[in-house]
Amino acid sequence: MKIAKYNTNENTLLVGFPSNGLVGTFSVSYLIHHLKMKQIGEIEIPDLPLTLFVEEGEILSPIRVYNKNNLFVIISDVPFNQYLAEEFALAVNEFCKKNAIKKIVIASGMETVDQKKDSPKIYGLVTHSILDGLLYNNQISKFLNGSIFGTDAAIISVFRKTNIPALVLYAECHPFFPDPEASIVVIITLAKILDVKIDTRDIENKIDKLRIQYRNLMKETIQTLQQQQEKKTRAPQIYR
Amino acid sequence: MRNNDDFKFAAIPPIINSLFDDIEHRILSPLSCLREFDNHWMLEFDLPLVSKKDIKITFDEDTINIEAKLNEKYSEKQIGDVAKFEYFKKSLSLPGKIDNKKTTAEFQKGRLVIKIPKKVSGHHVKIT
Repeated sequence: MKIAKYNTNENTLLVGFPSNGLVGTFSVSYLIHHLKMKQIGEIEIPDLPLTLFVEEGEILSPIRVYNKNNLFVIISDVPFNQYLAEEFALAVNEFCKKNAIKKIVIASGMETVDQKKDSPKIYGLVTHSILDGLLYNNQISKFLNGSIFGTDAAIISVFRKTNIPALVLYAECHPFFPDPEASIVVIITLAKILDVKIDTRDIENKIDKLRIQYRNLMKETIQTLQQQQEKKTRAPQIYR
Repeated sequence: MRNNDDFKFAAIPPIINSLFDDIEHRILSPLSCLREFDNHWMLEFDLPLVSKKDIKITFDEDTINIEAKLNEKYSEKQIGDVAKFEYFKKSLSLPGKIDNKKTTAEFQKGRLVIKIPKKVSGHHVKIT
């Protein structure tokens, strides 16, 4: 039995979408699988280019909602530029209001300075100080200084204006390559925050294959993120 | 005991292959990135399932070629069919004014990092 207990009384929403290292995609996806969560709906964003996924003959929307007990998950299989990110965040906010969500946790990645590090570090950024205790109780270093732009900035900007506090978990990762290793650190941290037991052996055994399997999504994500960075002075350069 | 193959992600990878893998010759196109620093370029390739001894790097004037054999065959479902791959291969054009004789490479955790120094040219300007 992989689920030990889930005794949080508050409704919590976990959000994942493709960004640096696909950390949000891998970690949130893994939680959905391991907690055996059920899909309960879809989120529609009017300006999102029409995309549908077909899996085993089933038509799936790119932004789906899952639930188990007090935990809700919204996962997107498509990356957002900052404009779509804002629409996405507003749609998520509407969902939160309708489902009495008390806190939001967003899984993401940030570029690591030292790629040779054995274990990626994780940082937490909270939109409301009420969640500071969550960082302290789970030994998550607070994101103290730095700049956030584009997709993440658009999403955080929406949530910091609402009454629902959000915690963004940033794991150090390779920004341009899929990084399931960094995602494992996020999965372990999420397990602590959500008070669930998660066995990470499945993802550990598939790290290399996931890096190959998700190359296309990584490429698509970089292209989307770079569209919004073109005006920046430090735009990373990428060969195709 | 859970079979590893049973584990499936909720996230769906795109069906359209924008990386131009060569299914016929079983060749995967690796992800790569090039970053510019003050006095060098850093070129990285993501080469999971590869050992250092199986990587071949060659320069051809202004092009760098990477070839690597996978430790095991990699299979992927592609619109109803299963494609099998055995190699990574990619050629990239390099920026001008590089010193490819002083190029160094490191391979760690399946990532190949190639450091290509920039060629120093031009003349000094005397400050009076």
